[in-house]
Amino acid sequence: MLNVYQKLLLLYPKEHRAMFGEEMAQVFEKLRADILKKKRISRIGFWIRETSGLLSGALAQHLRLFGTEAALAFPKERFSMRNGFRFPKSTILFMALILGGVLIAIKKGQDIASSVPDVNPPLPVHIQPTHSILLGGMPLFFAFFYAAGLIGWAIVFALRRSGVHRLDQIAGEK
Amino acid sequence: MEQLPLTESVLLILLSLIEQPRHGYSILKDVERMSDGRVVLSTGTLYGALRRLLDDDWIERFEEKETPRGRQAYRLTPQGRRNLQAEVNRMKHLTRLASLRVAAKES
Repeated sequence: MLNVYQKLLLLYPKEHRAMFGEEMAQVFEKLRADILKKKRISRIGFWIRETSGLLSGALAQHLRLFGTEAALAFPKERFSMRNGFRFPKSTILFMALILGGVLIAIKKGQDIASSVPDVNPPLPVHIQPTHSILLGGMPLFFAFFYAAGLIGWAIVFALRRSGVHRLDQIAGEK
Repeated sequence: MEQLPLTESVLLILLSLIEQPRHGYSILKDVERMSDGRVVLSTGTLYGALRRLLDDDWIERFEEKETPRGRQAYRLTPQGRRNLQAEVNRMKHLTRLASLRVAAKES
């Protein structure tokens, strides 16, 4: 009988078994010893009660575990961030308002574009569109600013203002 | 989390532990005795309830030193004692209210 009980205990989550399994089996053994002295009807009642209790208990423990995992996967509260990085709740409202404004502006622009007839004359062949002229100088433009950024960072680093040198100190402390 | 009002089983388990620390078998027997044999818990029900009470810090588990195999026993925490007292007060209030209403109806 204890073997059957221990087999049923396998239905419980592993961590619950590790915590209470042995204790439950010991208590069951004592209860079984008590019930052996009683009538057959009491023994049947005991078995029904124990089996249904174990099955419902195992289900409840699995649900509890699932609930805990689900709560961890989908936290209801705000993430615990440092105050310096936390944004106020009103930011969500402002961002939604800005997004709404942008969407309305796009819609208005499309309406205006579709309402105005295409009256622009075709471009003469010798005039190039502006963007193609700019496109030629674009890589040079980016290279210039990239180089300027690098030089600026090198100056800041040389003046030991960037804080990068502190990383070595922190590594040294550890 | 264990919420008020408590179920009868949980209330009886807590009442059993308020008297003295007990191990699982002793709790089962005491619950049966307190309810005049009306509430007979299975081991699955008992340890499910004990697990919830432990998780919510209403009770604590410790090893009994006198026993040879280091049997685990349970006792109420201060928080558990406070919550049990709150539940008893709630029930007292309800009982008083019910008695007054019933008496008023009968008179």
